[in-house]
Amino acid sequence: MKSTLKNPAVYIMFVLPTLVLYGLFFLYPMFSSVYFAFTDYNGLDATEYVGLDNFKNAFSDTNFRTAIINNMYFIVFSVGIQVPVIIIFALLISNVKRLKGFYKTTVFMPSILSTSVIGILWQFIYDPDIGPITDFLGWFGIDPIYWLAESEWAMVAILITNAWQWVGFYIVLILAAILAIPKDIDEAAAIDGANARQRAWYLTVPLIKPIISVVVMLSIAGAMRVVDIVLVMTNGGPYGSTEVMASYMVNKAMKYGEYGYGTALALIIFAFALVLTFIYQRTFGRTERIEY
Amino acid sequence: MNRKLTLALTTALAMSTLLAACGNNNNSSEPSKAAESSAPPASESASPSAEPSKEAEPFTVSLRHIQIGDAQKFRKAILDDVVKKTEAEVPGLKFELDGVEDAANRFTKLPAEMAAGNQPKIFDLFGGNADALKYAKAGRLLDLTPILDELGIKDKFLNVFGQFTLDGKIYGLPIGGSVEGVFYNTELFSQNGLNPPTTWDDLIKAADALKGKGITPFAMGSQAAWVPNMLVNTIIGRYTNGFPNGIVTGEVKWNQPEVVAAYDLYSDWVGKGYFTKGELGKSYDDMLNDFAAGKAGMMFDGSWRSSAFKEGAVAASMAGKVGFVALPALPNAAGDQTSLNANYSNGYGFSSDLNDQELAAVKGFIKNLYSDEMQLRGLLEDGVLPSMKLSDESLAKVTDPVVKQVLDVMKAAGTTFVHFDAIAQKAVYSETELQLQKLIDGKASGQQVGDAIQKLQEAENAKTK
Repeated sequence: MKSTLKNPAVYIMFVLPTLVLYGLFFLYPMFSSVYFAFTDYNGLDATEYVGLDNFKNAFSDTNFRTAIINNMYFIVFSVGIQVPVIIIFALLISNVKRLKGFYKTTVFMPSILSTSVIGILWQFIYDPDIGPITDFLGWFGIDPIYWLAESEWAMVAILITNAWQWVGFYIVLILAAILAIPKDIDEAAAIDGANARQRAWYLTVPLIKPIISVVVMLSIAGAMRVVDIVLVMTNGGPYGSTEVMASYMVNKAMKYGEYGYGTALALIIFAFALVLTFIYQRTFGRTERIEY
Repeated sequence: MNRKLTLALTTALAMSTLLAACGNNNNSSEPSKAAESSAPPASESASPSAEPSKEAEPFTVSLRHIQIGDAQKFRKAILDDVVKKTEAEVPGLKFELDGVEDAANRFTKLPAEMAAGNQPKIFDLFGGNADALKYAKAGRLLDLTPILDELGIKDKFLNVFGQFTLDGKIYGLPIGGSVEGVFYNTELFSQNGLNPPTTWDDLIKAADALKGKGITPFAMGSQAAWVPNMLVNTIIGRYTNGFPNGIVTGEVKWNQPEVVAAYDLYSDWVGKGYFTKGELGKSYDDMLNDFAAGKAGMMFDGSWRSSAFKEGAVAASMAGKVGFVALPALPNAAGDQTSLNANYSNGYGFSSDLNDQELAAVKGFIKNLYSDEMQLRGLLEDGVLPSMKLSDESLAKVTDPVVKQVLDVMKAAGTTFVHFDAIAQKAVYSETELQLQKLIDGKASGQQVGDAIQKLQEAENAKTK
């Protein structure tokens, strides 16, 4: 037995099946998609090598540029607006004395719903004829807004819906971090005369910095690969004004059968996500380990 | 030594298990071999009633259809009867029906299956460059010419194979036809003392009068831009000679003054509030709902919608209150003013990958679906214009008032032209949708729309040369 474990062949035998599966279902598809990104593969006609044409086309295509900008909106909205809201709500919930479980469950609820359900629910909320927002605006004499039909509003409408879906999930993450901070630190600050706001800002927030950093990174990654909510609510419309990179890729590859171009777009999205998360990790994302 | 042997045996066992899992099942590879040998044009073997005396070996044939939802129930009933009849005729046959929503099938599911080469054996298919002809070129579709000859039904069809014919071979069978025109609410028109919109003046007068009374003149649902594109297609046809065939040959340009005038007219109507407010957020179903609820006086749509206005259908409240006319002649426009947009673009196609049994099933299906009986049922029950010649006696059985008007409109038409989605390349068609939505939202003028589409049209035309 002892000598068996010293035999490298034994290790290879155990590792090999996993390596084969990994190669078959991860490496092979990934490298073959890199190959297809340089071709005009459409499944029907003979495949030809087209060099960098797919990448050139992508960046010269105004619709794809709009999609990139929309992804940036997602990032800015989720990091600039969503994250502060998440922190504030988490701090508020952590300080309530009663019904804490109820609040936690309530805010978490949207993140367990399917995106299709959320999309249809919010389509109803935004409906210019029968939606509650229209009724609400009507009390102030404001005309109905065609939220999903007007290019000025459609993106905002999707951003709000997406935020509603995911805020709860992150609140619960941050809440867990807040509740893990030993009570005596907070009590010591209170005895020293710090009020609730000061304790939250100067004590709690710095102590939960590592988890905030994770939330920001997850938000960036989530914003880069967002697609389902767009497909359900507007399918990129009106006229591509809510198109994001992934929905544009899905449409190009699936609807038009331009699989070569589609895989090139997928590589671009992958590169974008990689670069952004790398930059974040190297700059703001650097946090020190906190010991209580 | 002993350990080495054990190790070698275990490795060999693991590898053989893996290889066995990756390998093909022998049983399942046999039919595909048979399919290769019986690839088109295999017409001599297996007729629908082939060898009934032999004990039937059960087999299944996949059938993709788009008859889902309440609005399609009449057509689904016809399909079900054809399926039942064919199963009874072909020993061992069992159809596996797969209902998929129209656009999902046409734009997502079928293209992916065609690319992978695993399309269903029988499937709903659209004609034209972007669909049937593209798949036919790639060898995915069964050449139906010998089957039509064998069944002796080729001459029974009207002149409907244009969008399904490649190099003289027929690759799809249109189930029926449609014309596009103006549905109007006769009750609303008579209440307001309006004439039916048979002339341009009457149409505009009606639109203005309805608008004045707070009723939307035209119900419209432009969330999916193929809906407003129907009206745009007919208006361009009225303004421009040689449309739409000329767009791929270069004879007609999207930015020539006549086409731009058509887009300007549409934009003008948007500005005047002739269409449903917020149309970009309204679906095709919303359009029918608005019209059926009396919120709008008119609606530009295909004749297939006539079946919605009969007893038991989705807009049954409108039964007997709907009129249908062609878009009236446009004053001072260069195109043929009697021309009508007529399409025989939707029907069934068949996989080229069939074995003998499946081929027999396909023949039985064609024989039963493309018959006088089913064509007449399609017309009477579903308002779909027949793609095959029907006797005057059969046509006289039509009692539905809207279908009668549709037939009259068709008779009165001087010439017909197809929708440009059957002619334009997919990328160009998609650009027309995008640009039209921009126009509706006031973000582009008719000229800008024309220029943008023409730019892409030229690039696509150059690709195909």
